[in-house]
Amino acid sequence: MTADAAATRLVERGWGGALSLTLRLILLLGFVLIVLQSALVVHARPQDLITGIYGMTDIIRRAMPPDFSEINKIWWPTLETVDIAIFGTVGGVIMAVPLAVLAADNVTPSRALYYAARGLIGLARSVPDLVWALLFVTAVGLGPFPGALALAVHSVGMLGRLFAETIEHMEMAPIDALSLTGARRLQVFTHGVIPSVLPSLTGITLYRLDENIRSSLVLGFVGAGGIGFELLSAMNLFQYRLVSLYLIVTFVLVLAAERLSALVRTRLA
Amino acid sequence: MLRVCNLTMRYPNGKLALAGFDLTVKTGELVVVLGGNGSGKTTLLRCVTRMLDPSGGEIWLGDINLAGLSGERLRQARLPLAMVWQQANLVRRRSVLANVASGALGRHGGVWTSLGGLPAEELRAAYGYLDEVGLAALAGQRAGTLSGGQAQRVAIARALAQRPQVLLADEPVASLDHEAADDIMRLLRRLAGEENLAVLCVLHQVELAYSYADRVVGLRDGRTVFDLPCSELPRDAVRQLYLSEAA
Repeated sequence: MTADAAATRLVERGWGGALSLTLRLILLLGFVLIVLQSALVVHARPQDLITGIYGMTDIIRRAMPPDFSEINKIWWPTLETVDIAIFGTVGGVIMAVPLAVLAADNVTPSRALYYAARGLIGLARSVPDLVWALLFVTAVGLGPFPGALALAVHSVGMLGRLFAETIEHMEMAPIDALSLTGARRLQVFTHGVIPSVLPSLTGITLYRLDENIRSSLVLGFVGAGGIGFELLSAMNLFQYRLVSLYLIVTFVLVLAAERLSALVRTRLA
Repeated sequence: MLRVCNLTMRYPNGKLALAGFDLTVKTGELVVVLGGNGSGKTTLLRCVTRMLDPSGGEIWLGDINLAGLSGERLRQARLPLAMVWQQANLVRRRSVLANVASGALGRHGGVWTSLGGLPAEELRAAYGYLDEVGLAALAGQRAGTLSGGQAQRVAIARALAQRPQVLLADEPVASLDHEAADDIMRLLRRLAGEENLAVLCVLHQVELAYSYADRVVGLRDGRTVFDLPCSELPRDAVRQLYLSEAA
């Protein structure tokens, strides 16, 4: 077959041919059907958005201008929100590191521990942080502590998995070389494994801290303290100017955490 | 001194990589093992270090047979045995000095070293070893920034920090240019003589073997083809060693 004939055949069988047009129509129809069924299931009513414009405009009007006279009341909940995230992240790292070592295929001391660690990491990840928060509120009462605990446990899911993957993908030759010098298992870990993976682990941790700051805002809605809790209280009391102030602080906080985390991760790369 | 007696290694797939191999490397001697691909050179080193468990035979390091040991007893017995790899295998994000000093970890079992610290006296000694391989000026630099030749010298300094009696080298110049390869072989030659090390080096470069070895061992299909002092080694015997591989 000449090159021209082969090219023609490929074009005829490819996306430009009649068959591909039918296939494209089927795919398009399938996509439309999926979107339509999702709209039905969520009871989507676009007309409500139009009739609701008045209500939304009214809330925005009542939320303006933000009540900056209350700015002094906001520092403590803000600090609480940040500290929930810090405690949750540090707690998560403390639990995730040993679990990740057990759950990394190349360094785990036994298969039984490998599967146990993978199971715990999976459990921590599969239960949403809001559910963990509700469980901890029931256990230790309202306030920032259950929120911090919830973030710590939920963070283990993501940190444990990514830490384990980082360890699994690291270069093993320097580790073998260090083992052969006579270094003990723990020394090989602290002198070989940790220095090799520390930059990646730090990057992942900072990313998680950024995520946890956002999550800690939401956790306040279920009684776990911080800005989220104050925001919900202000909404319940119809103090919309205070609500807008909290939203501004939230926006600044999330943006600052995101930028700081991205900056440090870039430096580490 | 290193003595290997009747060393046999059969892989689980049935391949016989070493078939009753015998070898002695005396203190102060540099022995080069030559052989084609798949001749059993790397398997030999892996068995001697017990990274692989040989199917049979003995590996005498002084008066201890490594072949019969495992666990902590093997770790202790293996301390006088250092290895230099084809790639330097340094921890790239640690300093050159820390990499060298980590060669001494086997002698220190305390909390400080378990937490990632290095004893001050070992850091001082490591500086001395770096000086010995001509790289003291790079002590503070990250290992990942070194050239191939520099990294291999640092790996040798790390091996020296182990205070070995036997030094194994698995194609230590394979990834280096001619000049750097000569430097490394000269260094190994000097260490064998001055530090009284028994050096066993696997090489592919025949000319380097002629230039630096005391004795050359030819290996084919896991068996010794020749074991001769360099001065008595006929060129033809070496050529035959590689011709049989090509055939």
